[in-house]
Amino acid sequence: MEKVIETQELSLNYGDFNALANVNLPIYRNKVTALIGPSGCGKSTFLRCLNRMNDLIDNVKVEGIIRFNGEPVQGVGVDVIELRKKVGMVFQKPNPFPMSIFDNVAYGPRQQGVKNKDKLKEIVEKALKQAALYGEVKDRMNESATRLSGGQQQRLCIARALAMEPEVLLMDEPTSALDPMATQRIEELIEELKKDYTIVIVTHSMQQAARISDNTAFFLLGEIIEFGLTSEIFANPRDKRTEDYITGRFG
Amino acid sequence: MVKRKVRLSEILLNSSVFLSTALSALALGLIFFYVIREGTTLLNWELFTGNYHARNYIAELQDNQSQSYNMPDFSTSENVYPVDRFGIALEEDVDLAGNGVVRVYYVHPDSPFNQMISKEVGTEVVDLDVGMIFQRISYVDHPTSLSRGGAQKFATELNDPQREVYELFFSDLGGGIQGSIITTIYLIFMTIIIAVPFGVLTAIYFNEFAPSNWITKTMRSFIETLTGVPSIIYGLLGITVFVPLTVRFTPAVNSNLIAGALTLSVIILPTIIRTTEESLRVVPDDHRAASLALGANKTQTTFKVVLPQASPGIITATFLGIGRVIGESAALIFVLGAAIKDTVNIYEPSTSLAVHIWSMMTDEPANIALSSTIAILILAIVLVINVTVKIGVKLLTRKGM
Repeated sequence: MEKVIETQELSLNYGDFNALANVNLPIYRNKVTALIGPSGCGKSTFLRCLNRMNDLIDNVKVEGIIRFNGEPVQGVGVDVIELRKKVGMVFQKPNPFPMSIFDNVAYGPRQQGVKNKDKLKEIVEKALKQAALYGEVKDRMNESATRLSGGQQQRLCIARALAMEPEVLLMDEPTSALDPMATQRIEELIEELKKDYTIVIVTHSMQQAARISDNTAFFLLGEIIEFGLTSEIFANPRDKRTEDYITGRFG
Repeated sequence: MVKRKVRLSEILLNSSVFLSTALSALALGLIFFYVIREGTTLLNWELFTGNYHARNYIAELQDNQSQSYNMPDFSTSENVYPVDRFGIALEEDVDLAGNGVVRVYYVHPDSPFNQMISKEVGTEVVDLDVGMIFQRISYVDHPTSLSRGGAQKFATELNDPQREVYELFFSDLGGGIQGSIITTIYLIFMTIIIAVPFGVLTAIYFNEFAPSNWITKTMRSFIETLTGVPSIIYGLLGITVFVPLTVRFTPAVNSNLIAGALTLSVIILPTIIRTTEESLRVVPDDHRAASLALGANKTQTTFKVVLPQASPGIITATFLGIGRVIGESAALIFVLGAAIKDTVNIYEPSTSLAVHIWSMMTDEPANIALSSTIAILILAIVLVINVTVKIGVKLLTRKGM
């Protein structure tokens, strides 16, 4: 299996606080990798390392190696914008811009200089179709995106990320603010998307990880306790702490 | 049911809430009542469109012979006195400052008061128009008559076939505030054009780009302090910096409108920075993160995602600024001067409405009526601005969010 992203001895400090320590994790192409663990275990922090969103926070120090397609992600000479074009992100709370549905999806390509209207229309339609939202919004492309329901907004955010044609999609608890029906639609969508994309998803729900992911990494206090096939981790966890967590004894 | 005991302290607190509200409302209501009571008597379209400085004319009639004119009937109009002999009618009226004057009420097209021979150098003939003021009439072999005698006296004398008019001294109405209105409009536009871009960009720097360190914090508290500085201190800045600067680089020779606008820009800049910054601060960080995660850079994120969301705040800031421009007087007396002008030139001193009030009140005697009329105008403008802002912001927020 081909590794898209790989980290070696990755550690991260917020000031004095050690958020990640010695994380070695491969992300395989066209697989869904779930990051699970209790709150504050560093799984979201790890996710944000992969597209360098941690740069936005002051006092963050990252050590170790992150490779995307063999190229280093950390370091001074790395083109962050190029990286973020290839590694898209979907956030915990649906966060569409207060613009029209069309403008939301077209935002990324527009900032990269795509001006041709037909081309933009094509990109937007394709992204919305991939995000399984096109049928619901095709007649109201100029309506404000904030009028959509929460689940639709989140699929719009996925479409917005897909419009950049990334290789990897990072999802930070994408369903935690949604109702069960909307959650189910997103999960079906993830299933569909992994044909074309590599997906890394942080989730609080063990059931969700078990349902949709191929690989699972269990984080605890900034370290990876266990990583492997989801089926194995949930059936026969090797570590006692993993077992305690997935059986709901803590977290 | 248990009857709850109401504590004395609660009664006191509640009653002081109601009392304070009532007193505030009363104070504001009294101001409005006073201004409107004093000012409405002079409220008049001519005041807003008329010149302040009346133009004077001296002229003599080409033809002093009596004729009969087909005059309308003035008997129903009060205080109007027809002069059948010359085909005009005079009215007892008050000028814009409330002083009694004799105004021209009617001029027959064939009247000899049209096409009079002007005694001023440079003009040959001059017409008497409706609305002009009769100041003085000199007669051949008869004593000169002044306007304080009233319209009726003028009319009786002019109707006397024995008298021959030697010379007529008359003038425009004058006292209008048209020039001050125009100056105020100029000031608003120039100030906003200068201050809003600077203010908004500065706010963007502070909220989006500035590192959070002691320098930023110090600068921010400086700006906060500047909002509370009395405007007369800005006036000093204006007269020592902006007036010499404009004199050096423009055709201006002393206080002028550009210096006034620059000074006002400095006055409203802190307000614009603060208001804009507050509206930038409430833009969710999620949106910034989403934009950056899509591969947009900082500049694109700031100007395409963050700034549009702050636009209601920027509009509010702009209109707060306009309110300040309309209301400012102390600083402007220094940098713009207090000379009331009828033709406004940005390189010359002139007067805004607020300073016009000041001029009227420093007259001897103080003209409270006219000042109150200008005050009504200012209040009306501020009211219109406030309503516009409310509606505008509502429309913007409904469209965007």
